[in-house]
Amino acid sequence: MTSSSEASVPSGAARAGTSPSTRLFVRQTSGLVRDLGIPAATGISLASVAVVNTFINFNAGLTDFAKADMYLPLVAAAIIWLTAMFAYRYLLRAVPRAGGEYVYLSRIVSPAAGAVAGLGIAVVFTYVLSTNAHFAAQFTPFMLSGLGAAFHSTAVANAGNHLTSNIAIAWLSVVVMLIVAALSLFSVRVVARIIFWLIVLQVLAFVVLIGMLAFNSHADFTSALATYSQHPGAYGAIIAGAKSNGVVFGTSIAAAVAIIPFMVLNYNGVLYSYYVGGELRRPGRTYLYASAISIGVLVVLWVGVWALLRARVGLTFMQAQANLGVVNPDAYAKITSLSSVSGGLGYGMILSGDPITKILFATAVPLAEIAVNLAFLTVTTRVLFAQAFDRLLPVGVAKIGERNHAPNVAIGIVLVIGIGFCFLTSLVNLGSIVALQSLFFALILLAGGIAATMLPIRRADLIETPGMPEDARKQWLRKVTLVGGVTTLLALFTVYELVAHSSVYGKFSWESILTLVIVLGAGPVIYVIARSVRRQRNSLDLTMAMRELPPE
Amino acid sequence: MWGRAKNAKKRALRIYFATDLHGSEVCFRKFLAAARVYEADVIILGGDFAGKAIVPVLAAAGSLRARVGGEDVTVPEADWDQLAAGIGKSGLYPVRMNEAELARLSDDSGELDRLFRSEIAAQMQRWCDLAAERLDPAVRCIITPGNDDPVDADAVLAAHGRVECPELELCDLGPVTMASLGVVPTTPWDTERECTEEELAKQIDEMLGRLPGGRPSILNLHCPPYASGLDDAPELDATLKPVIRGGRPSIVPVGSHAVREAIKRYQPVLGLHGHIHESRGAQKIGRTLCVNPGSDYSSGVLRGVVIDIAQDGSCLDFLLTTG
Repeated sequence: MTSSSEASVPSGAARAGTSPSTRLFVRQTSGLVRDLGIPAATGISLASVAVVNTFINFNAGLTDFAKADMYLPLVAAAIIWLTAMFAYRYLLRAVPRAGGEYVYLSRIVSPAAGAVAGLGIAVVFTYVLSTNAHFAAQFTPFMLSGLGAAFHSTAVANAGNHLTSNIAIAWLSVVVMLIVAALSLFSVRVVARIIFWLIVLQVLAFVVLIGMLAFNSHADFTSALATYSQHPGAYGAIIAGAKSNGVVFGTSIAAAVAIIPFMVLNYNGVLYSYYVGGELRRPGRTYLYASAISIGVLVVLWVGVWALLRARVGLTFMQAQANLGVVNPDAYAKITSLSSVSGGLGYGMILSGDPITKILFATAVPLAEIAVNLAFLTVTTRVLFAQAFDRLLPVGVAKIGERNHAPNVAIGIVLVIGIGFCFLTSLVNLGSIVALQSLFFALILLAGGIAATMLPIRRADLIETPGMPEDARKQWLRKVTLVGGVTTLLALFTVYELVAHSSVYGKFSWESILTLVIVLGAGPVIYVIARSVRRQRNSLDLTMAMRELPPE
Repeated sequence: MWGRAKNAKKRALRIYFATDLHGSEVCFRKFLAAARVYEADVIILGGDFAGKAIVPVLAAAGSLRARVGGEDVTVPEADWDQLAAGIGKSGLYPVRMNEAELARLSDDSGELDRLFRSEIAAQMQRWCDLAAERLDPAVRCIITPGNDDPVDADAVLAAHGRVECPELELCDLGPVTMASLGVVPTTPWDTERECTEEELAKQIDEMLGRLPGGRPSILNLHCPPYASGLDDAPELDATLKPVIRGGRPSIVPVGSHAVREAIKRYQPVLGLHGHIHESRGAQKIGRTLCVNPGSDYSSGVLRGVVIDIAQDGSCLDFLLTTG
């Protein structure tokens, strides 16, 4: 047995101090790794954010909210994530290992709550997979028109016009799901490489777009739009058309507040370095710095892009274009062939003069959604695994293929359910899909907030430092509760905004309510069924798996 | 998978298996309590019981000073028990010393090695005594080592009357026979019980060659089978840093080919594994149910698995537990 006094220690153990009088001696054992530092953790956080989705959310915000502006929502959403960042820091200190809200809930609230939440998350993530596929499908006409422009092919450009019906979108969503499932059957290493390159492409599209906006003037944009649309007065005609169709212009605080949930969704992923909590050097500090840097970078980037869009394209035009395409698509189509849902990417497309950037902009959203879905599929299958190991689902669900080492059964299940959701989201009016996604992520954030709030009450032992004086201990625990409580309140505010604006964020039709009940209620229902079936078979009682063991 | 026909058989044996406690006092106490809570006939601790780090506690001028959880802590000397319990909870060894002793340990790796060995042996002695005190006499307590456990610790286990340590031996559990081995294929950390895949295959073969023909068996092998889903761990580069691909740590299978081959060839009813803490799960390889309950020792959470065995040695049911 070799001994050393290195700085790196396994999960949960104390870290080495700089002073020789307070150092930690670590022996040579398996699992001791050189930890990830702030740059690596920041990279993980930023790579988890789908940057091009910003344009989808900008566009959706302009469409759904009259007088919407993005400055306040972008900053407010960043504040919500910054608050949540502190809550997750405490959760990371308590449970310094890979996991997420499912793990936190099962450790801190109760294993039963964790199991139920885990099932819910698995269903929700499967739904999100289908909504991402739906986004990619919705952008297919834009992609084809961009590729048509790049290759000077009217046939390709016009093909997109035949793919706008609900059934076409549904089938395109299925194709996206099949592509994702097929790619997932490769080894995890290959999948990781595919994700990496897809991320590189979308970041490249984003950077090129910033350059286009920065180096072109408002007059350049007006002129480019006229050329692209083969309509010399396209810019003014779109604004005039929107006015005559009752589109409201300008900005208001109420609209900016209502749009915050969209922007909360925008930042989703920015705290994901906590998923590698076990591998971070000085986890709490590294996580905090990495998350704060990532949030800061995104705020600067997105606020900057929005400012550029306002300066080069104009808020009035963006509001007119996004809304006219919805309220009077025929009138819009007579002025321009630019897709009304394309937002910033569309503006980049018409400004670009070369085929390479056109291809980059055209394919950015579908490729980004495939990257996101590949990552989501991995997480979803992992959550399904956990449920199978908890005997809530058949163990066969977690079967690993001997040839490809991939979870083939779990991928198949997710694919089948995801395809079902694809048709549901495409054919049934569920209100705004973006909003439903926002709701799910707000609920996950809520789960994190609740876990942090309950941490000092349920599992103070996980965050207490031995030898801490009683007064300091109480103060420390109060601080954790406070941060958890504020995060919970902000998550509740986000949920409230989503529910309060049901006319935009999802009408309460029987279909939408049924879908929400299925998605959110699947966990408890599966738990009750699994427990009942096992009781009838005289198998081991499921509650035994969650029984707290008394150490004394 | 576990239909009515199978469950029509009666349970002859209930096993509780946990692994990779890494010195966690609270997890070991929970391990002992598991016998009562889960009504187990045999409790098995499958290796890597030894802790990984020593926290020096400096005694000076009536107070004790240590660095715990990244923070400097100073308490009155009278609070030693409380401080030691807090440090020991997550598997660290608190050791009282003065500045001179600390300086010597920092400079002398041999001295530090001896201190680790003595702390681990002392803890094993305490744990065995605790098992004798707390366990129902009818419950068997089996502790086998893993690659992170010093070889000296086996002697402590072997000498204690209440605990069994059938390392590299066959152990009769009633309806089944269990074969145990804590050695793992070579790791980047050069730990105490490592060998090549070929040597591991040879050791497993020699042990299983002694199995009576047709007798149902359990393989208690610390290392999980390769690419079984029970052996997924972060990929490391040459400097032992996790490899990041696509914004996530790259996860690769790190289990043993020899273990996989042995399971495929001998088809025991059950494979009990550990080693890879984050790879909790259950998989079937042929007819064999392989289980890795994972480990969350640093959070004071005991992960384990309850397994019911029928009179004919077949596996009736299992349940992964978190307690």
